[in-house]
Amino acid sequence: MENIMKRLNKISVENIKLEIMRTTFGNRDTFLSQLDPRVLMFWYLIFAIFPWFIYDKIVLVALLAFVTFIAAISKVSKVIIFLLCFGIASEIICYGIVAYFLGGGLEAFLALIGLTMKLATISLASIAIFGNIDPERLSDALLSWGVPGQITFAVSFGYRMVPVLIEEYNNIINSFRLRGKSPEHKGFLYWRQLLHMLKIAIYAFYPLIFNTAKRTRTTVEALEVRGFSYALQNKEVKKLKLAYLKIRLKDIAFLAGSVSYVIFLMIIVK
Amino acid sequence: MANSLTQTQVNQSKTLMLFILAMSLSGLENLVAEIIPEFQIGPIELGISSFIFIPLVLVILFDNIWVALAAPIGEIVFADLILGEFGGLGEFEEVILLTMGLYLAGRLVKDVASRKQLIIAALVGFGFTELAGTMIDIGKVWIGIEQLEAVPGLPESIVALEGIDFLVEFVITGIIFGVLPTLYFVPRLYGKLEPMLGIKPREIDDSRNPLPIAVTIGAVIAVILGTTVAFISEMGINIIEWEADFLDKFGDNFIWVPIGIAALVAVITFILAKNGKTKEAKASQEG
Amino acid sequence: MPQGIIHIEGLSFTYPGSGCPVLKNVDLEVEKGDFVAVIGSNGSGKTTLCKAMNGLIPQYISGDFAGKVEVNGLNTLETTVASLARHIAYVYQDFENQLVRSTVYEDVIFAPLNFGFADYRERGLQALKILGLEHLKDRFIWELSGGQKHLAAMAGALSLGPDIIIVDEPAAQLDPLTAVRVYEKLQILNRDYGKTIIVIEHNSEFIADYCRSVIMMDGGCVFWQKPVREALNRIDELKERNIHPPQVTQAAHLLFQSGSGKNNVGNYPIQIAESEAYFAGINLKPSCCAHSITEPSPANNREPVITFQGASYGYKTLENTTHYVLSNVDFTIYEGDRLAIVGSNGAGKSTLLKLISGIIKPQSGGVTVYDSNTRDASPENLAEIVTYIFQHPEEMFIEDSIRRDIEYFLKVRKNPNLEVLVDQVVNGLQLTELQNQNGRLLSGGQQRRASLAIGVATHPSVILLDEPTGSLDISSRKEMVAMLEYLKDRVKTVIVATHDMQLAAEWANRIAVMKDGKIIEDSDKYRVFGNPALLKEANLRPPQIVELCHDLGISPVAFSLGEFSNRLVLGKEDHHGKYYETVE
Repeated sequence: MENIMKRLNKISVENIKLEIMRTTFGNRDTFLSQLDPRVLMFWYLIFAIFPWFIYDKIVLVALLAFVTFIAAISKVSKVIIFLLCFGIASEIICYGIVAYFLGGGLEAFLALIGLTMKLATISLASIAIFGNIDPERLSDALLSWGVPGQITFAVSFGYRMVPVLIEEYNNIINSFRLRGKSPEHKGFLYWRQLLHMLKIAIYAFYPLIFNTAKRTRTTVEALEVRGFSYALQNKEVKKLKLAYLKIRLKDIAFLAGSVSYVIFLMIIVK
Repeated sequence: MANSLTQTQVNQSKTLMLFILAMSLSGLENLVAEIIPEFQIGPIELGISSFIFIPLVLVILFDNIWVALAAPIGEIVFADLILGEFGGLGEFEEVILLTMGLYLAGRLVKDVASRKQLIIAALVGFGFTELAGTMIDIGKVWIGIEQLEAVPGLPESIVALEGIDFLVEFVITGIIFGVLPTLYFVPRLYGKLEPMLGIKPREIDDSRNPLPIAVTIGAVIAVILGTTVAFISEMGINIIEWEADFLDKFGDNFIWVPIGIAALVAVITFILAKNGKTKEAKASQEG
Repeated sequence: MPQGIIHIEGLSFTYPGSGCPVLKNVDLEVEKGDFVAVIGSNGSGKTTLCKAMNGLIPQYISGDFAGKVEVNGLNTLETTVASLARHIAYVYQDFENQLVRSTVYEDVIFAPLNFGFADYRERGLQALKILGLEHLKDRFIWELSGGQKHLAAMAGALSLGPDIIIVDEPAAQLDPLTAVRVYEKLQILNRDYGKTIIVIEHNSEFIADYCRSVIMMDGGCVFWQKPVREALNRIDELKERNIHPPQVTQAAHLLFQSGSGKNNVGNYPIQIAESEAYFAGINLKPSCCAHSITEPSPANNREPVITFQGASYGYKTLENTTHYVLSNVDFTIYEGDRLAIVGSNGAGKSTLLKLISGIIKPQSGGVTVYDSNTRDASPENLAEIVTYIFQHPEEMFIEDSIRRDIEYFLKVRKNPNLEVLVDQVVNGLQLTELQNQNGRLLSGGQQRRASLAIGVATHPSVILLDEPTGSLDISSRKEMVAMLEYLKDRVKTVIVATHDMQLAAEWANRIAVMKDGKIIEDSDKYRVFGNPALLKEANLRPPQIVELCHDLGISPVAFSLGEFSNRLVLGKEDHHGKYYETVE
């Protein structure tokens, strides 16, 4: 219980700022981060969809090994990989145990191994890619594929606003605490205290909605003054914005290499 | 002074304002929920997956598709990307389902003062998203395992666990962090928030023909039910046979829960549609 | 007369739902290359006038619009706001909200890219270069200080190469030294790049130092438009509209009135730089009295309320080191203290206050409030003794009307006298008219008053105020000082963290100067403001009258105009004595 209280207090601006710094600057010099974002996303799509249609365990092992290799050279944090594997494994084990009680034997576990490898491959591919695309480039790649400008704008705006909003939320929670009253009896397993905190966590959104509304008015005026809507209606602007995206030899080599590896696997198995 | 230049610009900026507002708030809400720890047992999560009432309240107050769309976008950008948890294709699914669910909720409310409508809207909006998500999760396992039906116990196990997860989510997120706060927030914000954005508050909208909504919901439920049934028969689950073994261990038949909820939703919608009609008829008589 | 770069003819505007026009038949001409200040009391239509110049009115803010506004020859009714943005830039009062991209570079290329300029990168970089922000190019917006954000917002607008820049109250949101830096940049833009600058400004000292002409708004009309010297010499007209002429101007006027100054009506000095020469010509009679500064009364007589014992606070940086905002502070605050904590941004003032309130806990050392160590007490419990008034009043509004906000503390404690107590506070702080309004929709001064009322309603022994006069115009500021007086009999200890040296000089009986997380001086106003080296070290800008005293070699320094003129001309000793009494 104390743990939860501490975590609630940990929603601090400094931590969030650190997190943003890490996701943005953490992987600037890796191999993957040098590649074109569209190529990376296309590569991800291959490894996110293809495994679903593979049932051969050897191919699955080979795919997983390949993706793990890519993840390893792109400096994906070991903690994240561990958490990921742990999550998938516990989920699968759970299915297995329940299936065992429902009359299935060990074969249920065997059947689940394939699924585990698929999920692991897909998740690792996702972490490797999205941990290595600069968010601005990710949004540009999406824009180039026809995602509306309002939505791709959200990415940059999010990185702008999150610390501000968290700070404000934090301060409002502090206002509630400085004027509120914590329960006199903590209750069994601190449940009263927990309820008190949860209520504050919910009520704090009430003033925050008003404050954000007020803030948004200026933001939208500024967006219009700065040509945001004008750009949405103008194809030339999009072209100009995306002109820097260039597929180079590196990109082609990476994609071609990966695809041929997959094809090679298929041929060998057959 | 209302020339056409002014008019288009004003409308365009209002939409943008709603989008940014809903995106910021939903994003923050999700980020906070994400940071609060949760317990996970296999596929079942015990914790706050989101303060879903935030987008629900906004979509009910403004009844605008951009508000519905802003919620999943905010979640993805503010919470997932920043915490390094961007899920690739899974996010795409989130955008579609949550947008649909929220939009549905916004459409379902005709009178923001009616508690009944708020409850229904919140339940249906969230229920739709969550149920469809559960179906997709089950579907993924189904595709992912070769000849799933050949492994005894496994299909049931998956349905059972996903069903429990759905229930837990429905109660924690849907009711405790959905319906209840929505009931608290909507009346308190109505008429106060809109002027801050320079927007006229929603009026009681009796003119709206409830039939298309009922049809929409009906269609959606039919699709879900259809998928479920097809899935069950495909897996070769003999419901009656399965029951005996399953009931012993768990005391209930979980597959019926999501189906039951879907059916319940259908019935509620039907009643709602009928109510709307009588009201409309009354209104036209009085008018 | 040739048409100016901004040409306004018969402009009237009424906001929707309000019966009375904000602008009434305004005719105005702004010359190309001018540096204009728009002044006037609250509600005189300054911001509305400026928003009409860039087309936001009536294109986004609809209402009844009549008349003609032309910017660079373009009629604002026929040109979109976006197209007008290439001619006229606008820096908002809440400039933080106009920064919409993640990093400085992204933000500064945003507008030129949106308009499809092929050289958008060069334009962005050029804007950064003009304002000297190149070193911040890759920073996140939220990493910047307030002043840097203000300049970044300006760079974002400049990147379109507009001829006119409007800045809404730069000095209100920024601390005085940062505001000087912003004005210096505006001066460069005006002088070296030929931009026309329009600022809405309350602070006449900035106007005197940087502007060339002044537009006075009054009740929705242009009252007059004059060159700066002439404008600031209209002492009575300015004061009637709650604008305070520079202290040097007033001092010169006062000297003349008391019969010893030069008759220079209409031609008083307006800048500190010219004042030395001006006053040198007058036959001064410096006061003979070399008053010794009384020592602050010995601490051991008084009850200690708050004690810092080697308290430190910091946060983790990206490199996994800890950045200390407050390091190893030993400090005791007593009953009866009216303590002003001064220091530049990032000196640790707010952190010090937050540690007392218990919102944050020291990482090492301890903070004791009365008998309880803040480490062991929850903020809820400490709140019974200590009230913390936030820097941004909006973060204290947790309800939708200020009366409900004031009630909240008493309500959750089920206080039986709730109505009576709340009424007392509401009436005492003159909020009766406003009590049912949403705090967020009030003006800056009203918001401050409301936030103070929320704090007072908790009946604290100690009250902490973070920048209570920040972003207030002069009349609201005066009001705030009066409110602080109201606290005198109700609260045992008041601690104020502030950039406002005038406030510290007028109100405090003890001043602590902070720098880099440490307290470098702890004494009274005479020692702090009489020490130019200390002021320089802590990066503080004293009130103009104190600077004048330094320049003229008057010691001890004077803190008000009356004191100043007495010191020079009449030398009334009893007057001084009276001043010293209040120090004790």
